Amino acid sequence: MREHITGAVQFVSNNHLKFDRPAQPIDALPDPGQKFGYVNKPVPQPPTAEVLAKLNTPEIKERCADLLSRYPVGQAALLEVLWLVQGVFGWVPREGIRWAANVCGCAPAHALGVATFYTMYNHAPKGKFLLQFCRNISCTIKGAPSLIAYVEHALNIKTGETTPDGLFTILQVECLGSCGNGPMMLVNDDFATDADGDVLTMKPGTKLTTDSIDRILKWCYAHENNIPKHDVLGGTVKGHCGHPGAPGAIAKPQVADYAPPSPVLNVKSEADETGATLTWKGAPEFTKIVVEKKNGDDWVAVGEPGVKDKAFVDPNGKVGDEYRMIATSGERVAKPSAVAVTKQKPAPEQKAV
Amino acid sequence: MAECVKVCTQNFGKGAQDIEVYKKLGGYSNISERLFNMSQFELIDYVQRSNLRGRGGAGFPTGMKWSFVPRGTGKPVYIVVNADEGEGGTFKDHFLMLEDPHRLIEGLIIAAWALGSRAAYIYCRGEFLPCIEALNKALNQAYAAGYLGENICGTKFSFDIFVHRGAGAYICGEETALINSLEGQKGQPRLKPPFPAVCGAWKSPTCVNNVETIMSLPWILSHDPSEYAKMGTPRAGGTKVFCISGDVKNPGVYEAPLGTPMMTMINDYAGGVVGGKLKAVLPGGSSCAPLTAEEAAVATMDYECLASMKTMFGSGAMIIINDTHNMADLLNCLGNFYSHESCGQCTPCREGTGLLHRILNQMVAGNGHDGDVELMQSLSSGFGGVTICPLSISLGGPVSSYTAKFRADFDEYIAKNPEHAKPRIQENYRPGIFW
Repeated sequence: MREHITGAVQFVSNNHLKFDRPAQPIDALPDPGQKFGYVNKPVPQPPTAEVLAKLNTPEIKERCADLLSRYPVGQAALLEVLWLVQGVFGWVPREGIRWAANVCGCAPAHALGVATFYTMYNHAPKGKFLLQFCRNISCTIKGAPSLIAYVEHALNIKTGETTPDGLFTILQVECLGSCGNGPMMLVNDDFATDADGDVLTMKPGTKLTTDSIDRILKWCYAHENNIPKHDVLGGTVKGHCGHPGAPGAIAKPQVADYAPPSPVLNVKSEADETGATLTWKGAPEFTKIVVEKKNGDDWVAVGEPGVKDKAFVDPNGKVGDEYRMIATSGERVAKPSAVAVTKQKPAPEQKAV
Repeated sequence: MAECVKVCTQNFGKGAQDIEVYKKLGGYSNISERLFNMSQFELIDYVQRSNLRGRGGAGFPTGMKWSFVPRGTGKPVYIVVNADEGEGGTFKDHFLMLEDPHRLIEGLIIAAWALGSRAAYIYCRGEFLPCIEALNKALNQAYAAGYLGENICGTKFSFDIFVHRGAGAYICGEETALINSLEGQKGQPRLKPPFPAVCGAWKSPTCVNNVETIMSLPWILSHDPSEYAKMGTPRAGGTKVFCISGDVKNPGVYEAPLGTPMMTMINDYAGGVVGGKLKAVLPGGSSCAPLTAEEAAVATMDYECLASMKTMFGSGAMIIINDTHNMADLLNCLGNFYSHESCGQCTPCREGTGLLHRILNQMVAGNGHDGDVELMQSLSSGFGGVTICPLSISLGGPVSSYTAKFRADFDEYIAKNPEHAKPRIQENYRPGIFW
């Protein structure tokens, strides 16, 4: 089956498609996503604590509560909450997607599916100025391909790449809905056919030319340190009553405490005269596990088993003791596992002779 | 060119983004004076008599669409405005929302009264952030003035409007995909039936209307519906906002009555063809069949005439092409576009648009082969009726019509390949969404 997936296709003139090439490993092929500015390779992610610190602010919590109050179900606010994440970072880190899923009360896998479906969410950092050029039919008629080639030459990068100084990223996108001013480009969130002094303009009857692109690039260099910021959702609206029965209208969204669920499952503890023996199952990704034992009202760390160990023995463990495990995966610390109460280890069965 | 009554674009360039200016120009008078004196059925009958047809592309009669929305089901009725304008060549909603956001709000209040709706969502495409800003500013003003929120103008009627920012997917312009996207899912179209009018957003009755349709309502309500119907053709009333782009002197947004001759639009409104002679016109956006110069000379811009010429009126987005362009280049553009925007649900569309796109790409790069055109025609002939939504036909239709009407352009490219008689072997075939 894999051969069919990666094999080359042969077109024969009488309209038969034949798979007749040997399979190639998928990594050996050029990454076609580059053309659209997507990255198929893993992107270095910022530390969890930093992502959460930037997202769990009072302003963003308030915005989330407002967004959740608009829809009958929390999941509907997912696109907007992802926009808020992109507004903070300029792209959506994986941890930000998990956070958005948590806010909206949907599965992180669903949120990742949504975030990768729509092309405007960036999954890798972009330059300070994201230049998006329309390459659809009206703009092509008016000469967009030659303009894009001009900009690529002027900035010495190709479409989908970022300049080494981190200032510009060029993308080619489909119709920007301004065909009358074609060719058309977006500078971050602004439509621009020209730069007039301090502002980018799109006057009726104007279009992009090589000269106006020069002026726009000059404007970008001049505004490197004071880029005009837009609110990602175009500002807030005050005075609406919200959707009757919306999750945000009843309870505040659960954005306060966020930790990923524990990857450690089914902790079992059994004691005999040698102490308590703990066994567990878990996702393979964690890098460190800490075992804690209940002592009065506190939890005390009693040991740190190796990640690949099958069991952990606490020599002081007795029947009735309570244990839990906390897993760490890279920077992320998960919620503790469910508490396991120690039971008596059954005596080994005597085999009949 | 006769002076035409402006229905949607009358406030352009007058600073109507501000509520005070808009009110001075006669705005919101419907709400304060006549809307609440009419019953819902009177209002729907009013819209039906005006012969208003949906302006988004399909051209379904608006009043009839509203009459399908069931009442008394105990579920809320939602109005969703389709402002996910992504079709190549279409840009009217962009400027309508930018120049006159209050007219959209007023139209929505009228629609909400007709349908008994409590909440409306404006699904605006992600690239139109300036429009979203203009709308949010207008919404704030309307809430402050008491036209929205609880107990509008002292009545017991309450109504809210929310703007929902999309995130860049052309397919979300299809109404069920738009509803999926509004629900926070991937924008993939749903199977119909059930139709959104019965089971749409959150399984409630939902009415999806285009921006221009909603913006026509204030004028219809403040005038007589027969006056509106009189302006158009017998089967479709009113004026239409045309967007003219491509090789014309003055591309832009023009409002004209339905049934205006195509050459009047090109020569009188848009200032004529520049850069060469007229070669082809796409009358309804990028997904329609092109008309040659001879056909364009006799065509009129309305639903029936264009349907009889085996193309479509669509959203009234005219793209004018002069004779310096090769149609294979432009079809390659469309191949890029539709294969990129296919949502990936249906195999004929996901794989078919990608194959067409690759064949066209190679042809334009000088690697065309004999039989490519027949192969493309054969592929596109398999698109009809086998997919959930019409995206694949949006590429399949142009492929068959471009190759039929402008075959010489394709042969010219194929002849550039010195080895065009050999069979085609394509390297590095890799399926998936990244064609």
